[in-house]
Amino acid sequence: MSELAIEGITIEDTFAEAFGMRATRLIVTAASRAWVRHAASSVTGFATSVIACGCEAGVERELAPRETPDGRPGVSILIFAMSAKELQKQIERRAGQCVLTCPTTAAYGGIPAEAAREWLALGSRLRYFGDGYQISKLIDGTRYWRIPVMDGEFVCEEKVGLVKSIGGGNFLILARDPPAALAAAERAVAAMRRVHGIILPFPGGVVRSGSKVGSKYKALLASTNDAYCPTLVGLTRSKLPRDVGAVLEIVIDGLDADSIRLGMRDGIQAACARGREAGVLAISAGNYGGKLGPHHFHLKEVLA
Amino acid sequence: MKPLTFRLKSRPPCRIDASPLVPAALAGKSRDELARLRLLGWNESYPAGELFAISGEDSTQVVLEGLDGSLVRVGAGLDGGELTVVGHAGDYTGESMRRGTLVIRGSAGDYLGAGMRGGTLTVSGNVGTFAGSGRGGELYGMAGGCIVVRGSAGDRAGDRMRRGLLLIEGNVGSYCAARMVAGSAVVLGSVGTHPGYLMRRGTLLLADREVELLPTFNDNGRHRLLAVRLLLASVAQHGSGFRRFARCVEFARWLGDLGCEGMGEVLIAQ
Repeated sequence: MSELAIEGITIEDTFAEAFGMRATRLIVTAASRAWVRHAASSVTGFATSVIACGCEAGVERELAPRETPDGRPGVSILIFAMSAKELQKQIERRAGQCVLTCPTTAAYGGIPAEAAREWLALGSRLRYFGDGYQISKLIDGTRYWRIPVMDGEFVCEEKVGLVKSIGGGNFLILARDPPAALAAAERAVAAMRRVHGIILPFPGGVVRSGSKVGSKYKALLASTNDAYCPTLVGLTRSKLPRDVGAVLEIVIDGLDADSIRLGMRDGIQAACARGREAGVLAISAGNYGGKLGPHHFHLKEVLA
Repeated sequence: MKPLTFRLKSRPPCRIDASPLVPAALAGKSRDELARLRLLGWNESYPAGELFAISGEDSTQVVLEGLDGSLVRVGAGLDGGELTVVGHAGDYTGESMRRGTLVIRGSAGDYLGAGMRGGTLTVSGNVGTFAGSGRGGELYGMAGGCIVVRGSAGDRAGDRMRRGLLLIEGNVGSYCAARMVAGSAVVLGSVGTHPGYLMRRGTLLLADREVELLPTFNDNGRHRLLAVRLLLASVAQHGSGFRRFARCVEFARWLGDLGCEGMGEVLIAQ
């Protein structure tokens, strides 16, 4: 079988291994784009990995006023967790502490009713902050809660839809040195931000601390992926080709497999766009031999 | 297929309960069966064929023509499909309707949409008292759906209203939204005395700046409320008058009736 390459960069014959998650989409609006961004960065803060954050969250895309329920600037936020129960806990905390508190904001559900597998309580929990002065309003079949706050009212949809989703789609950029890896990762992230239905939950969309399952220390569920650490090539069973001096990973959570495939394809193509001369030597993907998750994204299929 | 049409031949000898003349009850019936359908009067029943000239076939769209107010409970319990009334629909029109569309090209009597649970009820003319309320003795009034009155409504519109949307393009009489529990009512014309009397919760939106509220309502300032914007965007779908009203951005917010729970909201466009 011939080896796949883009612009002289080797695409390894491997796959990204992903697992099932539960997700919801929140639409947050505010009086101005600046306050939408304040709320969004707060809601999606400390939400890089379910390993320690409880959920993975990110901005799917910014919304123009014509796309939001109240005609104001908005943002679409995707939140992923391992169970409906954990997702319920996370959205309640995050909307309560990061959206309700943020001036001029409002929060709505972004999963269409026909797609929702079940419902998570949002306004129906947050309403208690109103201390009896809250008002519900049923408009065109959707129930909203109006909670009096110091700048007027916080408006919040009563419930948001939950969908089955996929977390842990990924690919690895193997580069000659850290600047080359970072530049390629930034190109990939910029391309992937244009794909709907996915988020890149790590800082700037990029991870440097790819992990393997387990550790020599019993307390840890995950530890550094030593096979991809360039400083350990002579010590461990390294999977790095010669000349690789830095590896960066891009992790993708998506509402469905097709969105993840599209994101991976666009990201890999953008990372490879400047060719081997820019320092990118190979593209790989993280997997655990098929033991962790049922969703396998083979790089060759993604790029086909 | 043409809509199934019942044209009233002449004024009946007494008030007739027209509630069987709804799409679900007429579906699958032959012309003979329709003609034999018994409609209750004061103390006897009448075959529909005696009262109406029947034409058309499509029972999902039923038309009642030439009504003069002698039929009561027109469209009562409507549970889907489309019912059109031409003329004066009598009392209890659309009572307890749950789904579907009831269009009245004309006027309606008292208790329009009493105890309504869903669907859309539109009246091109005026309606009597207790529109969107509940029957006497019922704890609650309208509890869902949407009533649109292009003309004016009498006293007690929205009495004991519990949920849903009551839209009145013209004027309303006294005691509008009295004893309201929840839901939203909008009045574009003038408002009689005692609006919101003993209302516990719910929202009454008024265009009439001259309205005289009860002393048991207190002023909570002028606001530009997002929830009102969402509500008005929905209200605007119901015609040009409501579209113009939906352009209002600032409302004076009065809360009452402090004679009871006091969480009712009267919003007056500024």
